[in-house]
Amino acid sequence: MERLNLEQLARLVDEPPTPAERAILDRDAPLRRELEALRSQTEALRNLPAMLPPPGGWSELERKLLSAGLIRGRQGTPPVWRKWMQAAAALVIFTGGTAFGWATAFTTDGRGGSADVASGPASFASVEEAKAAVEEASRVWRESIGGYHRLLSAQNEAQASRDPVVQLAALNTLMAAAQVTVEEFPEDQFFNRVLVSTLAERDRAFRQFALDGWH
Amino acid sequence: MNRVHGYARLEARDIEAQLIRRACEGDGRAVRALYDRYSPRVYAVVRRIAGDDDLAEDYAQEAWIRAIRALPTFRGEARFSTWLHRIAVNSALQAVRKDKTRRKREAPLPDVIPVPPRVGDTLLARKLEEALAALPEGMRKVLILHDVEGYTHEEIGSVLGVTSGTSKSQLFKARAKMRKMLKGYETRPEEIEAWSV
Repeated sequence: MERLNLEQLARLVDEPPTPAERAILDRDAPLRRELEALRSQTEALRNLPAMLPPPGGWSELERKLLSAGLIRGRQGTPPVWRKWMQAAAALVIFTGGTAFGWATAFTTDGRGGSADVASGPASFASVEEAKAAVEEASRVWRESIGGYHRLLSAQNEAQASRDPVVQLAALNTLMAAAQVTVEEFPEDQFFNRVLVSTLAERDRAFRQFALDGWH
Repeated sequence: MNRVHGYARLEARDIEAQLIRRACEGDGRAVRALYDRYSPRVYAVVRRIAGDDDLAEDYAQEAWIRAIRALPTFRGEARFSTWLHRIAVNSALQAVRKDKTRRKREAPLPDVIPVPPRVGDTLLARKLEEALAALPEGMRKVLILHDVEGYTHEEIGSVLGVTSGTSKSQLFKARAKMRKMLKGYETRPEEIEAWSV
């Protein structure tokens, strides 16, 4: 073998030469330089920079991902109609859960205490429908929270008959409803506050029961 | 110092894991964050395989859609960047095959597709990209996968459906052809970095 061709040299970029190839390289300086150039070329390819995709790439991709249902809508400021829909869905879940839990907590022997809560977002076909749902949900919510306050004052008036199980059941119901609502609408400040204040109220109740020596 | 660095790395991985989890749940902002982080690398490999800007844009989008769709199957055994990169490579190779079949039925492509300059290109990087784009398709794919992306011949064989021997032979031909095209240009790797804008 008198000389190595470029393809053979290209193999030597990452493979050791045979003794015959080594002998040829040893006595041929231009060939060694050519091999070095090939090694530099390979190294340069390895260091090629990343490339920025063309501008507008994300918008196009976002559109496609949205239409394929792979992502939810934009998280920016929602339009007014969406706020209505969202508020309606949140309230319906919350009050639905509260009312259901309330009913189970205070029926039969008054110790049901179930905190089953309706879950999953409600959906509406129009803004009118959503507004009506908000109004109905608000009514149920006012009645539920009113019931809770009536229960508290009745118990405060008659300390002897105070029933911690009933009170905790009521608080658990409110808390579970708020939790489901917050999971569905994590950015809703109102329901986050409801959840926090219900948790605080429950903690306060636990502390009070401990002080009262209730078992 | 190492410990601080270790914590920082752990934190970055945690953030990424959180982004992936949220992206799985359809959170557009999390997907956007992953896109911002990895789109240059995805676009680069897809662009080099496609050898054409317009096609590259479509292929990159397709790769991202596939990746987001497959996200629930990501188990974290490999690094996310590696997993994503594999999807991008496979997606681009499949798209090239599909387009090739379609083109055979339509008009033939020119042999050499010009590579338009882009902001931040160095002269050497540009020359390398031009030479890459001018390689015959089979050689180009092997050279990109091996020398640019670091695949082994066995891995190339499995993604391209060829033997590792064929992959090697295509690689040596591609390197030789590149060398002929780049004769006169010094291809020292430090030049790429030094000239980068």
